[in-house]
Amino acid sequence: MNVKKTGVLLIVVLLVITIFSSCGGGKKEAASDNTPAVELVYWSMWNETEPQAMVLKEAIKDFEKQNEDVTVHIQWNGREIRKTLQPALDAGTKIDMWDEDLERIVKTWQSYSLKLDDYYSKEYPSTAGKKFSDTVMPSLQEHLRKLSTDGGLYAVPYQPYVVAVFYNKDHFDKAGITSVPETWDEFLAACEKLKNAGFTPITIDDAYMDLPIGLHLNRMLGEPSEVEALVKEGGSKWDDPRVLQVAKDFEELASKGYMSPQVADNKWPAGQQEVATGQVSIYFLNGTWLPNEVMATAGEDFRWGQFAYPKVNGGVNKNYETFGAQGFQISNKCTNPDTAFALAAHLTTGKWDKELSVKTYGAPMDTSMPWPKQIAESKPIFENIDGFIPWSGGLAADPDVFPIVKAAFTKLLSGKITAEEFISEVKENQ
Amino acid sequence: MKNKKITLIIFIAPAVSTFLLVFIYPIIRTIFMSFFYVKTVTDNFNKWEFVGLGNYFKLLNSSMFIQSLKNIFNIWIWGGIGVFLIAGLFAVILTGKGIGHKEKSFFRAAIYLPNVVSAVAMATMWIQYAFNSKFGLFHSFFSFIGLEKAASFQWTSPDHQFFSMTIAYSFGMVGYYLLIFMAGIEKIPSDYYEAATLEGAGMYKKFKYITMPLLRDVLRTSIVMWSISTVAFFIWSQMFSPLDPDVGTITPMVYMYNLVFGRNLTLSDPALLNSGAGAAVGVLMTILILTVFGLVNLFIRQKELEY
Repeated sequence: MNVKKTGVLLIVVLLVITIFSSCGGGKKEAASDNTPAVELVYWSMWNETEPQAMVLKEAIKDFEKQNEDVTVHIQWNGREIRKTLQPALDAGTKIDMWDEDLERIVKTWQSYSLKLDDYYSKEYPSTAGKKFSDTVMPSLQEHLRKLSTDGGLYAVPYQPYVVAVFYNKDHFDKAGITSVPETWDEFLAACEKLKNAGFTPITIDDAYMDLPIGLHLNRMLGEPSEVEALVKEGGSKWDDPRVLQVAKDFEELASKGYMSPQVADNKWPAGQQEVATGQVSIYFLNGTWLPNEVMATAGEDFRWGQFAYPKVNGGVNKNYETFGAQGFQISNKCTNPDTAFALAAHLTTGKWDKELSVKTYGAPMDTSMPWPKQIAESKPIFENIDGFIPWSGGLAADPDVFPIVKAAFTKLLSGKITAEEFISEVKENQ
Repeated sequence: MKNKKITLIIFIAPAVSTFLLVFIYPIIRTIFMSFFYVKTVTDNFNKWEFVGLGNYFKLLNSSMFIQSLKNIFNIWIWGGIGVFLIAGLFAVILTGKGIGHKEKSFFRAAIYLPNVVSAVAMATMWIQYAFNSKFGLFHSFFSFIGLEKAASFQWTSPDHQFFSMTIAYSFGMVGYYLLIFMAGIEKIPSDYYEAATLEGAGMYKKFKYITMPLLRDVLRTSIVMWSISTVAFFIWSQMFSPLDPDVGTITPMVYMYNLVFGRNLTLSDPALLNSGAGAAVGVLMTILILTVFGLVNLFIRQKELEY
């Protein structure tokens, strides 16, 4: 009897499962009953609840309204897309477009994607009579071409960012600093004024600790390839007096008491909070997403300012910066590339580009759009860029040496070791 | 009879085929892959490039991989000693006579609680609220009792973060082993203890001559489980160093993750990606666990005990 009961129960459960699962399938079928002329599948790098996703969702709805024959199926992957996209593409899953970090998508998935040069030269409803290429920052287009193996355009950028020094304008005003520092000496002078005014001048988190040393080395040596040589070849490369000078510059920051005492201990976002709560004046280096990340603490009226990393004494000092963007890529197997590009254009120019910028306090892609007030001072930095410095300035080129440099630099910046000790610590462990 | 066999096969087939497909195939593929240079996991076989033991040599020559082995060894030995001693002590106290049923349930649940909370939440709590040198728990506590030097200790600086991570991780693991030890102790018949008490044995003697020998099997299993979880150490390391691995927090699994998927924030040079070497890390870790398993079996022999 009991066995029978269990059996019946099992069958009921199975039935329920079957009914429910067929319900799910039924919905999809109902949608395809209308047989729209064009169906696009978009794999997104955002989670559905993120502000970016919410704007994109609205924008896509708007696109579908304007083009009634188009249906866009969105899959919100979140950053897991870095791992899931390629297996899916290799397995032949129909994915017409996807997005992720611009550098990543071009370098990793160029062979899966469509070359977009022809599409860039056309006009779209959201570009207000201009060619699409006229709406994209030239530095980003050049960057895209350099990333690809054949100099082509393999992505549509959006949400550009640049790495800059962030500061609290109120603190600068109170300390009597009238113009942002452009050279290292001016930077030290500004720190001195801040300190005299009772502020802790600088802080940073472990997550961004590699940026100051990477950028400083680039200012000094000129090209990212020379910084890469430090970690790749090692040894005597570190004996270069210019490298010692770089270390000495940071040693001075520590010895003069300009660094936050908890800088070595800062686990992201502890350092960001130091700046957002007004305890520290300068966040050494961060991406233009910083105001958005600390918005809940700092508030909308926090007076953010930015300046490019200063020129260093005795350095080559090129106008190179670390910058990037997110980007859409269109599959080379996409059967409706025109519609897919039109959608990408719809999302990255005009109304929706602005909306995204406003909702995330981030930079707009369209050159004709204003930048949010929190990062307005980053716009000229972006416009002056002559070249690209990879994240960490090239120090991450050797994953074995990079963590050693980073750990030693943290100690240097917090005043635990001297410049000479920094060099020897890196050399010994390399 | 024949009928029975067919029934047997029909019932076993789904499980066996699933096992073969989901476990055996990936294992064989991973071992095979570790002898090739494979850029991404899903690369077609015709893109694979045979390198023999090249991946293994590369790993053993990598200072960060060696560092990652040192790190898990230190977690295993120091964390292990700490966790087992504390869990053992709690288990003896909580199974002792002096404690009531209600109190026992309460402490057991309280000590086990960290295991219920997600490791991500636990790590965030430790990093931001316990270790923070400005307003963290330790800072406040040591300031309160007037130990200024201890209060300003930088728990998460490069020199100390391994130590801090091990403490935070081990804290959560105590409850897990406490439950196992308690179950083991409660299985031991109380007559032994009663007889020993009548003979005048104290708490320590009872522990040494009754509890310890009879817990031998439990201890053996626990050591193997501790080793497996240490080798698979990943989440805590990722939480302490979310973007790039640090010297103090890198573990083999993190090293493997970076080989296979690259850096977290921005892309590392795609030429650095090497799923083949990632597979080699997996193979080495499996060998490591099997070795520990063998050694444990050798030193803590299984004895047929009946009680």
